[in-house]
Amino acid sequence: MTFARDSYRTVVVGAGIVGLFTAYHLARAGGGPVLVVDRGFLSSGASGRNGGGVRQQWETRGTVRLARESVQAYRRFGLEFGFNIWFRQTGYLFLAENEGELARLRAVHSLVASEGLPSKVLDADGVARLVDGIAPGAAVGGTYLESDGTLYPFPAVWGVYEAIRSLGVDVALGVEALGVEVRDGKVAGLHTSKGTVATPTVVNAAGGWSGDLSRRSGLEVPNVATRHEILATEALKPFLDPMVVRVSDGLYFSQSMRGEVIGGLALPHRPGTSPGAGSSPAFLTAMARALVGLLPRLGPVGVLRAWSGFYDDTPDGFPVIGEDPRLPGFIHGNGFGGHGFMLAPATARRIALAALGQPTDLDPAQFSPKRFLAPSPVAPVERLQLG
Amino acid sequence: MVGEPDRQFSFRGRPRAARDGETLLSALSTDRIPLLHRSIQYHRPQGPLCGIGHCTGCLVRVNDRPNVRACRYEPASGDSVTTENAWPSPTWDLLGAIGLLMPGGVDTLHGLRRPAFATSLYQRFVRRLAGTGEPPTEAAFRALSAPSVERSSEVVVIGAGEAGRAVVTALVTRGIRPVILERDLHPLTVPGAELLGATSAVFLPPPAEAGERRFTLLAFREPAQGVRVDAGSVVVATGGYDASLLFAGNDRPGVITADAALSLTAPSRSPPFRRAVVVGGSRRAAEVLGACGDSVEAVVAPGEIRPDVVRAASDRGILLYPRSLLLRADGRKQVRSVQLRDRNGGTKTRIMCDAVILAHRRVPHAQLFFQTGAKMAWRAGVGAYAPTVGPDGATSIAGLFAAGSVAGVGPSEFAVHAELIADAVARGSSPSQPATSPLAEEAPTELIGYYRELLRVPGHGRWVACPCVDVLVSEVERAVRSDYRGIEVVKRYSGLGSGICQGRYCLPDALLLLSILEGRPPAEVGYITQRPPVVPIPLAALASLPIRPAAEGVSP
Repeated sequence: MTFARDSYRTVVVGAGIVGLFTAYHLARAGGGPVLVVDRGFLSSGASGRNGGGVRQQWETRGTVRLARESVQAYRRFGLEFGFNIWFRQTGYLFLAENEGELARLRAVHSLVASEGLPSKVLDADGVARLVDGIAPGAAVGGTYLESDGTLYPFPAVWGVYEAIRSLGVDVALGVEALGVEVRDGKVAGLHTSKGTVATPTVVNAAGGWSGDLSRRSGLEVPNVATRHEILATEALKPFLDPMVVRVSDGLYFSQSMRGEVIGGLALPHRPGTSPGAGSSPAFLTAMARALVGLLPRLGPVGVLRAWSGFYDDTPDGFPVIGEDPRLPGFIHGNGFGGHGFMLAPATARRIALAALGQPTDLDPAQFSPKRFLAPSPVAPVERLQLG
Repeated sequence: MVGEPDRQFSFRGRPRAARDGETLLSALSTDRIPLLHRSIQYHRPQGPLCGIGHCTGCLVRVNDRPNVRACRYEPASGDSVTTENAWPSPTWDLLGAIGLLMPGGVDTLHGLRRPAFATSLYQRFVRRLAGTGEPPTEAAFRALSAPSVERSSEVVVIGAGEAGRAVVTALVTRGIRPVILERDLHPLTVPGAELLGATSAVFLPPPAEAGERRFTLLAFREPAQGVRVDAGSVVVATGGYDASLLFAGNDRPGVITADAALSLTAPSRSPPFRRAVVVGGSRRAAEVLGACGDSVEAVVAPGEIRPDVVRAASDRGILLYPRSLLLRADGRKQVRSVQLRDRNGGTKTRIMCDAVILAHRRVPHAQLFFQTGAKMAWRAGVGAYAPTVGPDGATSIAGLFAAGSVAGVGPSEFAVHAELIADAVARGSSPSQPATSPLAEEAPTELIGYYRELLRVPGHGRWVACPCVDVLVSEVERAVRSDYRGIEVVKRYSGLGSGICQGRYCLPDALLLLSILEGRPPAEVGYITQRPPVVPIPLAALASLPIRPAAEGVSP
């Protein structure tokens, strides 16, 4: 027997930060027994591969609120989970290279400020004060919110993992979910690489693999996995506080607690999870150019390592949260588009509610899986889905 | 190559001189191995360990450029060299108190969380401690700027050591003119081939389309010149390197690998030690005795000592300690003595010395193969991974060959092997079904047994498992106790292997350590995906290369 039990009240697919937090809220709400399965080892997916950015500057009220709640959760994390995640609130700085981009950032600023967050609009001098050594003329201005920040992702994963295990949640690593078993039009179990486990509820929190799981379960979904590359430099003494994000090309970078400059850049890649989460010469050269162009003093700094992970993208750039209307018992907690870590604490609570059959406060037009089933499908939207 | 000491530079404000063709490390190692650096977290005194441009032990700041490896930099007249991560100096560093006050290490995973109001204070303090060098200046970047080098060649050979040169010679006789990349600052040339010296290959993804022979190799030439080579076939002859060893004080100044000892022992000058202890009893130890035997006090071997080493030692009156456990290197700023324990009788011995030369274990420099996705196999004899290769050096990737010791071929076979490789390259044949060929000298060693004994030594938890990131053995043990299993997870949990040497000097030890702690064979502990680049490459070098989005492959 691979699993500790034959049947579970809920099986969560994905032991990334979203799946783990969901299991945590389920277990705390008495929704057990709960099983979490993951195809890899702990932190082998995007939760162990992201840049650690947590921001509250979003283009919609719904996401601003989820992000603000998540920031509060991460502030408490050390005391609640016993692990130090080094959540450092030294801000997100969005850079605009022209007045058009700045106008767009101003609109975001107005919304964020109207939610009570002290976001600021900066001119070129204000930007230069936050980024020591920025190339002259590299930005006309930007927006900044100091309570945004960065954290160290691994301890967050360990912390929630240990918490759910002490709450009695079973975690099976190295087990791939192959699709759900359907009986009488409802979820009855989950087929895995290690056999089938009976359950009336499956939470799909499989990140880059969530589209595959939905489709293997007979559900057509618009989720697309896209590979995003990232690199880290040699560790330097602290010189940069905020996470810096450039609107035009998606360049983002911050300096970690260890002193490494960690960042990435949006590049077009083939969709899908093949050929794996590797690196390409194209990314290394493009990223180095962008970084050195913006901050020439970094030129002599060595790139220490590069890696990549998968975003789970949706057409409108918002996550998919809630029960699939076509298959009772199949709960979506996916489509985070590279923002799973920053939204996990707040969204996982609502994914857990959905798994328990309870209502959530989420705007269905923005987050429900139903929005992709409407006669007129959701049009792709370009968003500030950066960093 | 080495001439008069006529390059005048300043080191920490004092005038120094280097000869033409001499590295900064060599120039600073006049009478002893210098203390140049403090470890990143606990500020333990650290000396150069590897001598071949990988470890953190000789990082200095040159003309406002941080983290320059002194062993790979030849000073120019007027250079200003300062030290990093130490105040007021590496010899007397106030922050060394951290290591003294908290010898068991600081638990940054669980500690420093309470009281909540102090969190930002802790953070500021810990953040101040992070990193090695101050960031560079823009002027330092401008001084480095150089146009990139791009080559397209039928064959590229990586490594111009004996094996690589043999392959190049064999290719040239077949009318092929390869490009050779060599890390050494002053490599020997081979007629008929283009040699790029002082050039480190850093990234070799597989071809964009499986089976297609179109490799793109990224490299850089010292100090920061971008290099890209396109080639139909790649022959990797990167050889091996001398591994580290776990014992107390294993990164004290004076503890060096045989690579470093040999690189610091130029024919025209005496080595920067007088009475060294050589660790190891086989071929590498013999090489060290051959090069600087007059400055060696004793040979200490984990197992038996080979007859030729015994002879070489006896000729010079060097003491022999076979089957010994190296327990500790003592000396606050500089190794003064080592302590051994006889593995049979348990007798402890102390040997006064001014250097410890690690020549006990040579592991293949196989990092590039991991990037290509070539099939790798665990080699028990050396306790490391190496590519599986056929008799003609072919790996599981079409067009990718391994030559020399990285392929498990011994020096006496280099020439014959080179002919087979050159034939296969010239034929352009698809790979033969690669079979693991036995590594030269793959005698059954007792590595695991040795490490098992080490882990029973009291206080071993305070030993440094990863000198680049300051990870202690106790932290690895704690990860395993908390049920985090496998090297990939333990790496993320402890930080081990994520430093500047890319795991070269901790992973070979860590794999054995984890095998013992987890109670399963080393091969099941797994290996860390060797992410690109295999040597840190300056952003300036990458930025100088034109961007070519589509045509390139992705590492696994």
